[in-house]
Amino acid sequence: MEAGQKPIELILARNLISSLSTPAFLVDEGGVLIFYNEAAGSLLGKRFEEIGKVGPEQWGTMFGPVDESGAAIAYDELPLVMTIREGRPAHSDMRIRSADGAEHEIEVSALPIVTPHGSRGGIAFFWPSSESAKGD
Amino acid sequence: MHVKLWGTRGSVPSPGPETIRYGGNTSCVGVTLSDGSLLALDAGTGIRSLGLALGDEPARLHILLTHLHLDHIQGLVFFAPAFKPQTEIVIWGPASPEASLQDRIARYISAPLSPVEVRELPCDVSFRHAPDSEWEIGSATIRAASVAHRGPTLGYRIEDAGSSLTYIPDHEPALGAAIDELDDEWISGFALAKGADLLIHDGQYTDAEYPDHVGWGHSALSDTLAFARRVEPGRTVLFHHDPLHSDDFLDRFYREARDRWAALGGEPGAIEMGAERAEIDLPAATPTPVADIQQ
Repeated sequence: MEAGQKPIELILARNLISSLSTPAFLVDEGGVLIFYNEAAGSLLGKRFEEIGKVGPEQWGTMFGPVDESGAAIAYDELPLVMTIREGRPAHSDMRIRSADGAEHEIEVSALPIVTPHGSRGGIAFFWPSSESAKGD
Repeated sequence: MHVKLWGTRGSVPSPGPETIRYGGNTSCVGVTLSDGSLLALDAGTGIRSLGLALGDEPARLHILLTHLHLDHIQGLVFFAPAFKPQTEIVIWGPASPEASLQDRIARYISAPLSPVEVRELPCDVSFRHAPDSEWEIGSATIRAASVAHRGPTLGYRIEDAGSSLTYIPDHEPALGAAIDELDDEWISGFALAKGADLLIHDGQYTDAEYPDHVGWGHSALSDTLAFARRVEPGRTVLFHHDPLHSDDFLDRFYREARDRWAALGGEPGAIEMGAERAEIDLPAATPTPVADIQQ
């Protein structure tokens, strides 16, 4: 794959999540955040175009993910980072903070994007947590 | 490089009086490299005529398959050189997690679809997955990359003696996103096609036909033109004609393509229709004389 050209699997993944109403992140094989959709932008309070590509250490802390006790979640324990590192699906509950300061309880499910030529990256979907949904 | 179009039709062979000029055979392009090496891009029914043209001379050739839909492999069992023991064939194609290239092709070259099996072919035939990095065939450097189309599908770029050919016969680069709204790196096939001397590209549907075929893996004319404008090839050949498109229809399609290309600011004459048996020479780049460099 020539430098600068995204693999087709990431292109198609981006096109897919672009048309979904489920918030979703897309990262490349190095864990760099290369896209998130408008639904994720609404949740986070910032469109992807306002942030651009950022590495895992940066995006992993940008929205302050914390666990149920309020303790910060280390970036390498985030589902999407675990998915990239281990090549396996990962899932967890967390709280995030959007740009306007509002906190959201969410569940995150991450999947690796594996091709005949190896891993190309990963994709994560965000859902309102079961508990917060019950409270709605 | 010398390029000859042996089959320009998509989907299914379409012989008949209404397809005489553009041809009814499915995808196959013969490429003769500067060192005489021979490539066949896809093995649709057009490869049958290519095989007959090779005559009785011992042949060594590489067949580069973009994917394994029937219109791209149907000619394999009618390729006369494959039935000669002195022929050596290397077949390249996309990898799949499901089965090897040979096993997937053998589903077609086996009963009940074929009277012969792969193992019965008297020629020396081997199967190789196209690598993820460049490789050499004869005097050419080959690059393959997956492109937007149903199932594992490759496009190819062939560079030889300073000229370049990109072949993406089945391609839906605007699936889910408008090309004009995408950065270069997010356009399927961009790096393969950027600046090629010749781009042979999917031109299956009119814009009016496309909405009924979204996701089928082929381009609307406006998307083909938008892709060509972005990658800026020297020439673009519209290829993989829909089997329902007669010669007269394709004449009208071509006029529309030229008009719209001009409206987009494209170079006049840089859009062409793929016609069976058409030949295109891509001259070797002429080294710049030392005197010119010193001026």
